[in-house]
Amino acid sequence: MVVKDVVQNPYFADPQIDYVYKANITVYGNELTGIFIAKKINETTHRIVFTTEFGNTLLDFEISETDFKVNAIVDELNRKILITTLKEDFRLLLKKDFAIERQFTKGNEEVLKSNFEKNDLYLFRSLSDTKLLKIAQTSKTKEKKTISFASENGIFADTIVIQHYNLKLRIALNYFKQN
Amino acid sequence: MTDAETTSFKQSVNAVAKKITTITTDFVQYKHMDFLAKDIETSGKMYFKEPNSLKWQYKKPYNYSIVFKNGKILIDDEGKKSSHDIGNNKTFGKINKLIVGSVSGNMFDDKEFTISFFKMKTNYITRLLPKDAALKKYIKQIELTFDDSDFTVTQVKLIESSDDYTRIVLKNKTLNAKIEDSVFSN
Repeated sequence: MVVKDVVQNPYFADPQIDYVYKANITVYGNELTGIFIAKKINETTHRIVFTTEFGNTLLDFEISETDFKVNAIVDELNRKILITTLKEDFRLLLKKDFAIERQFTKGNEEVLKSNFEKNDLYLFRSLSDTKLLKIAQTSKTKEKKTISFASENGIFADTIVIQHYNLKLRIALNYFKQN
Repeated sequence: MTDAETTSFKQSVNAVAKKITTITTDFVQYKHMDFLAKDIETSGKMYFKEPNSLKWQYKKPYNYSIVFKNGKILIDDEGKKSSHDIGNNKTFGKINKLIVGSVSGNMFDDKEFTISFFKMKTNYITRLLPKDAALKKYIKQIELTFDDSDFTVTQVKLIESSDDYTRIVLKNKTLNAKIEDSVFSN
């Protein structure tokens, strides 16, 4: 039996932490801003909430690798294609364990090949300190989307960018330090 | 509160609201959700000028300001500016009216809300339940806290249908000081 290596995404893994970010979402030229909140509520599931700056809830999801529940969504965002896209994005963003099929190095980065929901994934880590820098989801040879992370300490992401290449959708998250 | 007390309270609030031409105040906003360890705290400055110019300027932990003026919304998000019409968005128009009304205390509108009044130890609480179905979907209840010495609003609490809420505390309030129009140009 071959035991595969498992690599972890540490950035949303701690159930003690309220992960709170300022969010800027650009979708087909429209800009939507607000507050993005993620919290691990049990072993398998995260709660994801997006609110306006005033605190009105725009969407509220519960999401695991196998389950998905919409607790609330405003009419303006209640579109099947949008919900499906966000579900897939958040599922990948929140996924902790990645089974690695093979790996190679490229410049200062190690590239680890994995897969998730029938898509090829490539995880990019810094060679010097193994910080997770990027997850790229591809189909055949084209990148479909990437999630880029900037992290000071390697366990918490200060900024995150989810960039789609086949849709005009970009989600930028900036951690905000509270008092 | 008795009917007489309610009438007297409403008269006092309306008398104060009528004399308000401008409000400048600091605010702290707490977004409470039951599943979070801590409320999400943001803060800044709020400016209001009669008849209906309003600016919320968040300074911590990010710079974001939103101006409501003449049916328009002007946003400055960390220097990135945009403008939107409220016009075709009825719900947003109502929420806007509600925010302006909350701050100035001028929102005892029986057509829009079912209203009840409570006298507490050092303040009054007004509880408003929206009647409009579209608004009701987002906001279950609004609670305005009034200082019992000057009858101005000190806290606004917006409770969502999930029972999560946003609580905005107004402090260091200045009434009727001059505010330049440029404050609302964003």
